[in-house]
Amino acid sequence: MADVAVARPRTPRSPKSLTPQQRDARLGWALILPAITIIGLLVIYPIIYNVYLSFFDVSLMGANTFTGLENHIGVVTDGEFWQAVLTTVIYVIFSVLGTVMLGLGVAIVMNKEFPLRGVVRSIILLPYVAPVIATVFAWQFIFDPVRGIFVHLTVEVLGIVQDRFNLIGNPKTSIIVAVVYSIWKNFPFAYLMILSRLQAIDASLYEAAEIDGAGAWHRFIHITLPELQFIIGSLVLLRVIWNFNKFEEVYLITENVKVLSIYTYLTAFTGSLDLGRGATLAVIQFLILLIFIIYYVKKVLKW
Amino acid sequence: MLAIMLMFLIAGTVFATGEVEGASTGPVEIEFWTTLTESDRMATLQVLIDTFEILNPDISIELIPVPENDMASQMAAAAAAGNLPAFAELAAETAVALGVEGLLDVDATTDFINDLGKSRFYQGALELVGVGDGRNYYSVPYHGWIQGIWYRADWFAEAGLAAPDTWENILTAAKYFNQPANNQWGILIGTTAEAFTEQCFTQFARSNDAGLFDKDGNLIFNSPEMREAIAYYAELAKYTPPGPQTWRARDYYLEGKMAMFFYSTYIMDDLAIESVAAGSLTGENFEGLEGAFFDPELVNNTRLASIITHDQPAGYGVIDTLGFPKQTDPAATAAAQKFLQYLFTPNAYVTFLHMAPGGMNPVLPEVTDNPRFLNDPKGVYTHYGPEKLAEITGGLESIQTFGIVEGNRIDAASLIFAQQILPQMLYAITQEGADIDRAMAAAEAAMRDLMD
Repeated sequence: MADVAVARPRTPRSPKSLTPQQRDARLGWALILPAITIIGLLVIYPIIYNVYLSFFDVSLMGANTFTGLENHIGVVTDGEFWQAVLTTVIYVIFSVLGTVMLGLGVAIVMNKEFPLRGVVRSIILLPYVAPVIATVFAWQFIFDPVRGIFVHLTVEVLGIVQDRFNLIGNPKTSIIVAVVYSIWKNFPFAYLMILSRLQAIDASLYEAAEIDGAGAWHRFIHITLPELQFIIGSLVLLRVIWNFNKFEEVYLITENVKVLSIYTYLTAFTGSLDLGRGATLAVIQFLILLIFIIYYVKKVLKW
Repeated sequence: MLAIMLMFLIAGTVFATGEVEGASTGPVEIEFWTTLTESDRMATLQVLIDTFEILNPDISIELIPVPENDMASQMAAAAAAGNLPAFAELAAETAVALGVEGLLDVDATTDFINDLGKSRFYQGALELVGVGDGRNYYSVPYHGWIQGIWYRADWFAEAGLAAPDTWENILTAAKYFNQPANNQWGILIGTTAEAFTEQCFTQFARSNDAGLFDKDGNLIFNSPEMREAIAYYAELAKYTPPGPQTWRARDYYLEGKMAMFFYSTYIMDDLAIESVAAGSLTGENFEGLEGAFFDPELVNNTRLASIITHDQPAGYGVIDTLGFPKQTDPAATAAAQKFLQYLFTPNAYVTFLHMAPGGMNPVLPEVTDNPRFLNDPKGVYTHYGPEKLAEITGGLESIQTFGIVEGNRIDAASLIFAQQILPQMLYAITQEGADIDRAMAAAEAAMRDLMD
């Protein structure tokens, strides 16, 4: 850019008149300024303010008291915090793996020609576009211990289980429901991204492999997967970020799965309203995620 | 139009019964702060005020809505500014708190209650707002809701079981009716970490004379009585539907799958009126839904055990009172007393209570015999009849809370309630299998933390 500007003949002009490049640059800034302002106000300022708050004992009515690292030490020495971290890690690993694998499977099936494929392809998107609250209510009805179809089927019809049970309510099993719900809700997103890449794979690659005598499994391992490597890599990254911070999909379906975001919410906004501690939790959650992203991008994606 | 007709009706009947005297001394203007901020309730109150003003041209009342959560702070601010209203609607806890701070006219209140007749009130409602000496009162109870165990009287009769009003009877019936194989459950008590659980538990704890605080505010939570109540509650929880449960599971009862459930009198219209029961599921957002299953016989087969007895009888309810904040002008207090006198006349009282059938129950037992009271606009009470209504409102005879001990309001009890320490403890014990002693120790530590 600069080279081009230098190459142009310089003519004397008043300070107000600009080169077309400068004018372009100004226009560029003017165009992105609203976006920068909004991001600055709504994202960067709250993050900085949040970090600032984490050093204080926040009072809603009076002044905040500076407490240094007291909040941070309190958090990392708290067993409940580590329990929440563990829950979050389990939730993220299983929900992301499930989402990507189901999305991959469905995408491969949907890449084949069959009658009414267009209709099926759009129906598959439904869980992703349906409002969380509506699907959560449906799931709660399904797993209701007294009236739910799931318990009716497993206990009365199939007799797999002896006694009626509350899968969502039981603190030991509720995380299973939360993970399965997340997979069901989000697999269409993975499916969409993978399918679009699948459709772009050159068919001649498969033909050549087939001539060389490669079976379906080998074609999948040696052609499909390498072609999908980057799309799956980005997919995992996105889903980890989203599921790590997930609040509503977990909180609405069951109150027993205390992932980090819910633990933060409970600490900050219920009971005695410990906003300073809540801010600290948010900062730590942000740091954990940041470290993961840097590691993942460098080592796994090798960007 | 309806309002005007109602006004004439009330005016006419009040004149006919001649219960309001016309004598007056001079023009007085007073403020009436109400927590009934909904527009239709304000309209009903205004009708009552207009009628009163016609009967008492020398008194004018300005109705001012104050959201319930703001009442205490607004009163404190008004007291500081020296312009307290002469008349205010106060939740019992708020009344006691303001009374302890000296914002309420105890003499005027006590005189009023004595004039009306102390023995005409449900004693539990009165005790809740008592100063603690058994003679003086902070505020005048006016209406309230009651919680208790609603149960299938027909099932109990068939099984030959006694009404669930003692620990033994409740546990026997819960065991008997709990048949998971038939998808039938014994009882609904709260086991989630939320307020409903504490409300259910309070009745058991208080019936065993277990409290959180003594009257000086010392924490006495970790007592043998409390432990006994918790152990009993955990035992009872075995006969609830699986998993943590809250008030929403009342639907199992409405569907005929449960024998007993804890609930307030707000359930009365759901039990009695099909459109209300349907509305609890549908509403305007889900017009297409057909609504809940409705059994028209259920209301006849249902009765309420409003008081649980073990060591002592314990009811649970929330009382709304009408109080006289202190005034510099005695005429203002006199005017407020006169207005309250009017509000206790049978027709005005019934008009007031009919704003929320089921939610607003009379604190005077005699009202349930009044034919006009039975004939509420929604048609709820006709399904119950005077005898059952007396049984239901009878819960007000011995209301017990953790928050008011012998005329002292214990602020920390509200904090503990807001922090859901008891429900969290009960959730841990009933759902996570926590050891009772350890859970109690943890709860006690949390309470002490909170009070520091």
